[in-house]
Amino acid sequence: MAVTKSKTRYNIGPACRQLAKHLLSGTAKPKPAKSSSSSLQALTVAAMALPGLIMSAAYAAEDDDVNFQYGHYQEGKRNLYNVQNNKNPIEVDSLLGRAKISLTDRIKFAFNYTQDTWSGATPITTAPLVLGGNRAIQADTITRPRRTITTGASPYLNGEILLNKNFIPLRQNSRGKVTGEDTQLVHTLSSASPETRKQGDFKLGYEWDEAALDVGGGISVENDYESRFGNINGRWDFNQKLTSLNLGLSYTNSDTSAILDHDSSPYITKTAFLDRIEQVNALKIMHGNREDWATTLGLTQVLNKDALIETSIGYTRSTGYMENPYKAMTVVFVDPDQQTKNLTGNVQAFLEQRPDQRNQLTLGGRYIQHIDMLDSALHLGYHFFHDDWDINAHTFDADWVQPIGNTWTVTPRVRYYSQDAADFYSPYLLSKQAYSKVTYNESTGTFSTVSYDPQKLPANFSSDQRLSGFGALSGGVTVNKQFSKAVSLEAGFEYYTHAGSLKLAGGGEGDYADFNYYVANAALKVNLSALDSGGHSNHADHAAHSHHGGHGPAGVMFDHMLSKTNDVMVGYRFMYSRQAGNMLHGSNPVSDLDIVNNGCGKGLNGCRLTPTYMNMSMHMLDIMVAPTDWLNLMLMPQFMDMDMNLRELNGAPPVKPGGHVHTGTGHATGGVGDTGIYALVKVFDKPMHHVHAGLGLSAPTGDVGIKLRRTHRQDEGFIHYGMQLGSGTWDFKPSLTYTGKLDDWSWGAQISGTKRLENKNASGFAFGDIFQSTAWGGYSLTRWLSASVRGVYTLQGAVNGQFNPTQGTVNGKLVNNVNPSAGPMDFPSSYGGRYWDVGFGLNAVVPSGPLAGNSFGFEWLQPVNTDVNGYQLDRDGALSASWSIMF
Amino acid sequence: MKKTECRAVALLIMLSACASACSPVAPWQRGILAKSSMALEPNPMQSSLREHTHGSREAASGSSSASGGGCGCY
Repeated sequence: MAVTKSKTRYNIGPACRQLAKHLLSGTAKPKPAKSSSSSLQALTVAAMALPGLIMSAAYAAEDDDVNFQYGHYQEGKRNLYNVQNNKNPIEVDSLLGRAKISLTDRIKFAFNYTQDTWSGATPITTAPLVLGGNRAIQADTITRPRRTITTGASPYLNGEILLNKNFIPLRQNSRGKVTGEDTQLVHTLSSASPETRKQGDFKLGYEWDEAALDVGGGISVENDYESRFGNINGRWDFNQKLTSLNLGLSYTNSDTSAILDHDSSPYITKTAFLDRIEQVNALKIMHGNREDWATTLGLTQVLNKDALIETSIGYTRSTGYMENPYKAMTVVFVDPDQQTKNLTGNVQAFLEQRPDQRNQLTLGGRYIQHIDMLDSALHLGYHFFHDDWDINAHTFDADWVQPIGNTWTVTPRVRYYSQDAADFYSPYLLSKQAYSKVTYNESTGTFSTVSYDPQKLPANFSSDQRLSGFGALSGGVTVNKQFSKAVSLEAGFEYYTHAGSLKLAGGGEGDYADFNYYVANAALKVNLSALDSGGHSNHADHAAHSHHGGHGPAGVMFDHMLSKTNDVMVGYRFMYSRQAGNMLHGSNPVSDLDIVNNGCGKGLNGCRLTPTYMNMSMHMLDIMVAPTDWLNLMLMPQFMDMDMNLRELNGAPPVKPGGHVHTGTGHATGGVGDTGIYALVKVFDKPMHHVHAGLGLSAPTGDVGIKLRRTHRQDEGFIHYGMQLGSGTWDFKPSLTYTGKLDDWSWGAQISGTKRLENKNASGFAFGDIFQSTAWGGYSLTRWLSASVRGVYTLQGAVNGQFNPTQGTVNGKLVNNVNPSAGPMDFPSSYGGRYWDVGFGLNAVVPSGPLAGNSFGFEWLQPVNTDVNGYQLDRDGALSASWSIMF
Repeated sequence: MKKTECRAVALLIMLSACASACSPVAPWQRGILAKSSMALEPNPMQSSLREHTHGSREAASGSSSASGGGCGCY
């Protein structure tokens, strides 16, 4: 549904004075009736000319702004009943960047970037508890006397259960004796290693006086799913802008390309999808495509000066592959011809099957009422959903937006959601036929095996909890603090509880499926329009002259200072680097055999794997304030994501138990990185030359305890050092920067370092110290654009210490250390090195217009010489991009 | 559709229909309507995160429109 937002924009300038004049003249001297009508017209015209009021009917003018948000989703543990659940539940780290800018008075452009990284355990299917779908992992200790210990839980999808003549599952004790009926169900949980999704989308709009049209599009990419979409939305205002009509149309095309889980796949029947599954070496890849067409019609109406209402109706048609390739349906096959007292059920798992089309209807309304006494706003919403999968859903929500003082807003919120189950949903299926049966043909005197008849199974089935009947109650609060006209911070928290018993009118899923989660988020919002109207009429000059020489190349941190007391800068930096190509030892490419023999330490079994590429992306907020003209304080939170692929080395030794065996599928990690806190101190400042020193700390907010999931009946330990999200140690980061400027030329040099303040982090290691020196020169090509060239030398030490041993179970045996050791990337000695790079950069400062003063920078760092410690991948290069605004 | 659902739909249509007959609000009386607290979506960033989360956990929310959102297969 198209959600349209309105925003306050009080720019009470000449138009307001004009209106006030009219009002004053009206009150001072009453006019005859005819004249009052023309006065009213004049008033209307004047009022309509106010930027804040002209659009203040259903849709207010949207301000130009740049926003960044971090969100964390954390699910609670599921109840596994008779097995302890030691699996980490699903958690998701999200980053959202959003920019909305006016290209002209009438042309608007918006861009969003979203990134999510998730990992953890999620239900793969649902089964009767008596199957024991989640079994304790038993390990024999290698010490004497041998004993068996429980180290975790592992999913089982197949097996046998006992049922009575009414097909009710029976519970047995450890000696196999039936102790009673047991209808309890349980989710079978399976863990997933981290995965990252990235999405970019845009919207380009044109606004007329009483209408608007925008077109948008985007792409969402993850390892197993890619989605491309486009949309067009129109808006018409009429009835003096008291009424607005919206019409939207959108199209989405999505491809699934999912690697079926190596561990569970052999136990899942996939016959219905054989034409969709591609076999690539040892991998099975499910392919599918779906299309979604959606249209929405909305009406927004101002009811009176304190209230408005929005209603909408939407229709979506989805066709194609709509299954979740990782969800299976448990089918209990029971041969009713069994002559025994109790029946034996053969439990199998099938990939879920959903209909190939889905028609969905949504109807909704939202009522917003201002409460004068408290200056608050009450938002009440209701949405109804119906589809031809027989799901009806109701959503009720209420928000209370309460401004407190001039700068705070607190918004408590409550939401209730209830849905019916899809008509093909079932926690598990009971099929009254044998899964496979040996029969004797008397006429031929031969035995033959007869398998189950697929026609006796339903055409569609799913045990996905999202298609079950349930209710959900959630509540939360959002706090917004306005720091200045332009900058505000927002923090929110929501707690959500999903339960079958909360379903409207009852009949929901059993309590085995209940779960809870919370979402916490924090956002920084920069209103560019407020900057524009806030008296900083000459931003470009401000940006260009308030620090010496302007910005350095985009890849240089701490490149400039704010020189006026109380100046504030908000910026964003993106850095991407890629390693690929040859494996190097020192500066020289090496053969696979060299890596096998020497890359994994002396006296060990040799390397089996080597990386083929590694990408790292870093998003960084750059917040800078100047409490005095000689001191700047900086805060730099980071969000990281990394992915890496491995291949087997030619001449590798055979797999050793406990080794790191998966190749080709890659690893990914992502989430919050380390947070930098810095002070920049002015040392020397003349018109042509400027020197400042930086002192700072990097706080270990990035996770350094990320482990690989258990596969192939083997626990796996920590993921490679370079894939962890931070350093894990408090780091001291000093720097000294010189910049100079003369006419169109600018230049600079910097030395900087990273000194680890601890010998090891919580996981047992510390990255090597870093020293970097760089020098650059720049030339202003035009008033707003400059180009730069620089050289960089970097020296980084190897990793100190190593990962703490991780105890785990491998093929039923307890192993004291299951940390991976199959490739050079798992060895501390193969980190760090000496690097020469050359950088080519462009810097731009928008000279005029609504975006005046916004600075942009790009720089490509091209490796010139690479001399690595141990055995490491060669480097392809690094891209830096930055944006900042000062006020 | 069940009876209660029909009633809800009827109520919405009635509300929409009555809307056009609501009291006129002159442009200079729209100061309150222009407040950020009266915006249809007062916290758009947070809402998009919340909608994405609901979309990966509920059957109804995921179908709202083509704004991407990915598979949510977890």
